[in-house]
Amino acid sequence: MREITYRQAINEALHEEMERDESVFILGESVCREQWDTHRGLVQRFGRARIRDTAISEAAIVGAAVGAALAGYRPIADIMFSDFLFCAADETLNQAATHRFSNGGKTKVPMVIKTAIGGYSSSGPMHSQCPEGFLWHRPGLRIALPSAPYDAKGLLKTAIRDNNPVVFLFHKLLLDVRGEVPEDEYVVPLGSADIKREGADVTVVATSYMVRMALDVANQLTRYGVSTEVVDVRTLEPLDLDTIVESVDKTGRVVVVDEDVSRCGVTAEIALRIMEAVSRPLLAPVKRVAAADLPIPAGHLERRVLPKPQDIADAIGTLMNIDGRLVVEGFSEKPGFSVG
Amino acid sequence: MDTRLKQRNGLDVAVSKSATIRPTGPQLVRLYTNMVRVRRLDEFLVDAYYSGRLAGPFFHSQQGQEAIGAGACTFLRPDDYVWYTHRGHGVCEAICKGLPMRAFVAEHFGKATGSCNGIGFINTCAPELGMFGMGGTVGGESTLAAGTALAAQFRGKGQAVLCFLGDGAMGEGSVHTALLMSANWNLPVVWLCSNNGMSMWVPVEAAYPKENVADLAFGYDIPSTIEDGQDVAAVYSAVHTAVERARSGQGPSFIEFKTCRYRPQVEGVADYCLDGLRDPVEVKRWKQRDPIDLCARRLLEEKILTREDLDRIDEEALAEVQDAERFAAESPLPDPSLLDTALYAS
Repeated sequence: MREITYRQAINEALHEEMERDESVFILGESVCREQWDTHRGLVQRFGRARIRDTAISEAAIVGAAVGAALAGYRPIADIMFSDFLFCAADETLNQAATHRFSNGGKTKVPMVIKTAIGGYSSSGPMHSQCPEGFLWHRPGLRIALPSAPYDAKGLLKTAIRDNNPVVFLFHKLLLDVRGEVPEDEYVVPLGSADIKREGADVTVVATSYMVRMALDVANQLTRYGVSTEVVDVRTLEPLDLDTIVESVDKTGRVVVVDEDVSRCGVTAEIALRIMEAVSRPLLAPVKRVAAADLPIPAGHLERRVLPKPQDIADAIGTLMNIDGRLVVEGFSEKPGFSVG
Repeated sequence: MDTRLKQRNGLDVAVSKSATIRPTGPQLVRLYTNMVRVRRLDEFLVDAYYSGRLAGPFFHSQQGQEAIGAGACTFLRPDDYVWYTHRGHGVCEAICKGLPMRAFVAEHFGKATGSCNGIGFINTCAPELGMFGMGGTVGGESTLAAGTALAAQFRGKGQAVLCFLGDGAMGEGSVHTALLMSANWNLPVVWLCSNNGMSMWVPVEAAYPKENVADLAFGYDIPSTIEDGQDVAAVYSAVHTAVERARSGQGPSFIEFKTCRYRPQVEGVADYCLDGLRDPVEVKRWKQRDPIDLCARRLLEEKILTREDLDRIDEEALAEVQDAERFAAESPLPDPSLLDTALYAS
């Protein structure tokens, strides 16, 4: 099968869905060019009416998307960094998420908020965050956070066709990652976790870039004789708990990994849901790997705050009750953007 | 300064010159009738608040401001979009746009027959009338209004969007960014600011550096005008001049209406102003120019209606309110299964 990058996968999904449905349009700041180069060829093909550059106002971008969605269109609100989405907190959390509910289910808000997440680039506290915990806390949003090109394309296509507000979180460090993507039409349903690697001893449940990190750790741990299963949640809302729990029931041990902070975070929520749902007692208490409960520093100390491969290996070592340390090497994708 | 005045006067002049955009006699009767209907319904909801019949713990009466919603919404197209505010919970805009009173009262009673199936309370949702409800944050609808205006522009069928704001909303950044977007994209939206002089308990002069909030539209190059919010015919003329601009692709307009809310910001709380109370003499002075009385006087003077006609309109409005009350009282509560279907669309 052909291989394309995560960035190209996003780009293909946009091209195909805009071609398929005239009601799809993109609005955002500098979207004709787009910071992450996921919009290549769109404005040339679909024109400035459907690829709409706005003033720098996240509130207007998201709010107008909500309004246009209510009025029958399928807007994609492009927010350059997910950190900036907090500038549109009212429009995202109060308006988009609750509009249908407050109207007794009489309206629908078919829109996508597409935004870049993630650290590991020394970009400081307002260009590095992972907001999935915040967003998941709010009933009414759907959340997709793909880790691979195949998932990025399939989930974005589904997100655009969904009749609800979907926040599509793509990770900056994954943009140049290559992977198999069929040329034929396909979609990935929301609410379908994916077992990215099968294993027998321990389950790592991970999101986004953390899936790549967990896979790398899992491969390194084979030399210690540890067999690791890696489950990619792919979407938090809806969450495919069945697939996760099935894996944990098999291995009896689980580490939950997410790049957002640990406190009130995704790892806490998934860990508890697993404990509530497993059909046999866990062999060891759940471990979590997440960012420290700190803002993300720029510079060299960033690596002390964000999850790293050794954290995952240490968690697995504890779960497996292994004497000595499971030493793994560092891991990093080449940043898919300029950090200079 | 000259340029600024010209921008405002652009719409001022258009309004004053739009001789064809004046309510006819029969139209004035409908405007009057709608104002009476809304006043009687608002009075009923105030009573219902005090007798504990409302589903939620507040009502924000719009009494005194009826001319604005009535003049603006009575003669819109069904497919025009209307965004309203918490003032009156949209009673004036919704009823005048065509929502049956029954749906409005039932929603306020928390009943399944309400316009939001009984879980919206202050929300009024009627997609068939271009009304998608409100949020609950002041000015929060403004960017959504810009979005519906963008949809209207895409569709190209001459739909207009009306977005009501209070003077208090002009402090919200989202309102300004929505104004900016509407100007940038020449969107078919009419911004209607009902300046009742009070942002909750803060008088407008304490919240803004200038007397007229319409001046804030200058910076966005949006033609604006300041109108008498008590004169329903003036409201009709100004709004429909702006609506025609919107329909014909001439972009957004901003209209400030000088008006007064007769009652406190919210029922059950004193009529505060800063650290004291609002001057009751001031409210009394505004009541001398009550929008319903002004219109009745004109209808009588121009011999469009008789005193008996006015009485009959009032009786019919009261009967309509009583019917809505009975309907709401007899309606069932929402089924809890609504909670499973209301959040996500399939």
